[in-house]
Amino acid sequence: MLRSRTILGLAIIAGFSTGALAATQVIHQQGRAFSEQSITVKKGEALTFLNDDTIPHNIMSTSQGNEFNLGSQPPGSSTDVSFKEAGDVAVICAIHPRMKMAVKVVD
Amino acid sequence: MRSGRPDRMRSLGAAIASLPILIVGFASISLGAALVGETKQVTLQQKAPSGVDALKALYRRPSTIPFPKDNPYTPEKAALGKKLYFDTRLSVTSAQSCASCHSPSYGWADGLDVGVGHGMHKLGRHSPTVVNSAWGAIFMWDGRLATLEEQALGPIQSSGEMNMPLDHLMQRLAAIPEYKPMFANLFPKQGMTPQTLAEAIATYERTIVSERAPFDGWIDGDEKAISEAAKRGFALFNGKAQCAACHEGWNFTNDGFQDIGLSSTDIGRGAYAPGVIKMQHAFKTPGLREIGRRAPYMHDGSLATLEQVVDHYDGGGVDRPSRSDLMHPLGLTAQEKSDLVAFLNSLSSNLTPTAAPVLPR
Repeated sequence: MLRSRTILGLAIIAGFSTGALAATQVIHQQGRAFSEQSITVKKGEALTFLNDDTIPHNIMSTSQGNEFNLGSQPPGSSTDVSFKEAGDVAVICAIHPRMKMAVKVVD
Repeated sequence: MRSGRPDRMRSLGAAIASLPILIVGFASISLGAALVGETKQVTLQQKAPSGVDALKALYRRPSTIPFPKDNPYTPEKAALGKKLYFDTRLSVTSAQSCASCHSPSYGWADGLDVGVGHGMHKLGRHSPTVVNSAWGAIFMWDGRLATLEEQALGPIQSSGEMNMPLDHLMQRLAAIPEYKPMFANLFPKQGMTPQTLAEAIATYERTIVSERAPFDGWIDGDEKAISEAAKRGFALFNGKAQCAACHEGWNFTNDGFQDIGLSSTDIGRGAYAPGVIKMQHAFKTPGLREIGRRAPYMHDGSLATLEQVVDHYDGGGVDRPSRSDLMHPLGLTAQEKSDLVAFLNSLSSNLTPTAAPVLPR
């Protein structure tokens, strides 16, 4: 009984997390390019960086208040980033200088 | 080759211009301001391997040179830029020009392991070629300059290179009567300034394009243009050896920064990206056109031959946290290494001799 409750609980958590993932905007990286050049997100809302390219990327930003660095992100991995400060965020790949995008974070 | 601008280039320029901040270096990073979630594994659909024809299409030469909207090509501007490029009076000693280190005689580099600057002092890095710099996304081995115009003024002022303060340079050029009307005609509003000097030199540099090599003949359908060994090398370059993960496209670079595991204390891009592990010891991926004329190789000129370069990649280099995840021992056979070198040698053209210009007096 306890075991089946645990499984049910896990299924619910998994269901919620899938729902949350589906609601986020996904930035693809195929062909050494971001799928969007600019995008608007609400403060606290997650943006998913999915490396669906064939080589590693290093997505990051040094925009004040919204800094992050995903490090070397291998193909076939995805990471959510949510921004805490409203404003313009310049997101780049540290490795590939042509990969640049602008994220507008709004309240 | 000297007019027009492919649409791809135009949209790229627009994309860059639309960003509020053009990041060349990185500000110091205080991590943790944005919230980063856990990284998840995602199953990607496996693409069918590309056939040789699809691969070859990725390497076709462009038909036009891209010039930026704010510094368009004119033949007169390129001609002035050529005079300035070859003019030794741009250095404080009047002994060095841009062409001293980026010479047409050596595939637009200098044939030395590292450059030699002011006072005959050795510099820290190998002089890069200026061939195909019109297609460059970012400049210098460490990417510290964003445009070719900025790059043109860098070595002129650098104390270790031409050591020429710009105000001194402007005074010196103003005293050369034949330069003044050239600038006045081309730049009626600005006249002779560091900016117009840089625009002229950059315009000339953009016209320095690698010429058709045997490889281009093969890409265009002439099966006899390169050897069977070179064709096998091309397959390895795109396959087992993984060279094309970085040396991609017709100019054989995506301008990315990678630590390829050369044993050196120079941190390269890392100086502009503190805290970004993969940028430590990382240098810009050079293009491979005219590569047979540009020995020695690597950012430090430490490898004398293409055979040594292939051996380096085969070994995987120094294993350290900053080393690119693309670097690992390849297990190439002697035959495969020799095929790769045959392929690399098919990328050099019979460069048309460049006539040195008559300089203003």
